[in-house]
Amino acid sequence: MKKIILLVLVVLPSFLFAQSAFEKFEGKEGVSSMNVSKKMFEMMSKVKVDPKDKDMQQYLNLLKKLDNLKVLTTTSSKIANEFETSVTSYLKSHPLEELMRANSDGKNIKIYIKSAGNSTIVKELLMFMESSSKDTPSVLLSLTGEFDLDELSSLTERMNLPGKDELKKASKK
Amino acid sequence: MKKLIIILFSVVTLVSCKNKPSLQKYFVENAESKDFIAIDLGSDIINTEKMALTEADKETLKSFEKMNILAFRNDKANESNYDVEVKKVKTILKDTISYSELMKFGSGNDGASIYVVGDDEHINEFVLFANRKENGFAVVRILGKDMNPMNIMNIISLMQKSDINLEQLKPLQEIMK
Repeated sequence: MKKIILLVLVVLPSFLFAQSAFEKFEGKEGVSSMNVSKKMFEMMSKVKVDPKDKDMQQYLNLLKKLDNLKVLTTTSSKIANEFETSVTSYLKSHPLEELMRANSDGKNIKIYIKSAGNSTIVKELLMFMESSSKDTPSVLLSLTGEFDLDELSSLTERMNLPGKDELKKASKK
Repeated sequence: MKKLIIILFSVVTLVSCKNKPSLQKYFVENAESKDFIAIDLGSDIINTEKMALTEADKETLKSFEKMNILAFRNDKANESNYDVEVKKVKTILKDTISYSELMKFGSGNDGASIYVVGDDEHINEFVLFANRKENGFAVVRILGKDMNPMNIMNIISLMQKSDINLEQLKPLQEIMK
């Protein structure tokens, strides 16, 4: 009994802090952040829609499976470097597979995923887009839940997330 | 051993009840303060007389009780208070047992967040918190009984449709200038 309690106490914080690796950037000067919680996804998925609208249905189905979405953007190259450092250290403690890496239009994109077994089900997706130009911001996007990579494009399209084109390419593979 | 745990539990619960700063308390405490503007709107703010309401709309209105707004206006004189008060509100909302966060946006000095109290289909309260350093901040509570997400959307759209008595909201416009 005691052991269980101890175990819970030890394991719990690591769960709680797993997502907070990037939380320190929230509210920081020069960083725009967006955070959507599981509760919000659940509520959004309950909105009644026309059952004939297959696209919308698929979208709502996906929402149910999401836990958390965090998007951080910055135009400062200094903060972008800090993003990169925290991504690197995050990957050290949370090994994720590299899904793709691309270089285009002065943007350096890396997408990492944690898949459940061999299937296309993804438990976590981390995208880091570093931009060298001042006009396009660097983006750090973290999405957790249990979803199919193929479904993801419907989310990025609808929520108009940064890096949606890259994600679309990645999910079509 | 068991007894001890029970006692410990009840003590902790009691203590936490007593000391827990609630949003309600915060509203009451600051409503009279000169730094704040408090506005209470009843469900009658939605002027339904001229509108054709569907059954669903009526249901929605039934679940909606009132809306409380507390706004802090940031001018030179109370600048130091701004940080203190924002921190206070944030601490209250950090209580994840009562308030579940739905969404949060932020960038440096501005921020906005939405919270709910209650579970999915039985929401008792919606909380909206928005702050911007230059202007101040506002906390909006939408209170009701068993509201669901659809209701909230409906309430907002009903408010837009009806001729809301904007006189009541005048003080808010002052802040946003």
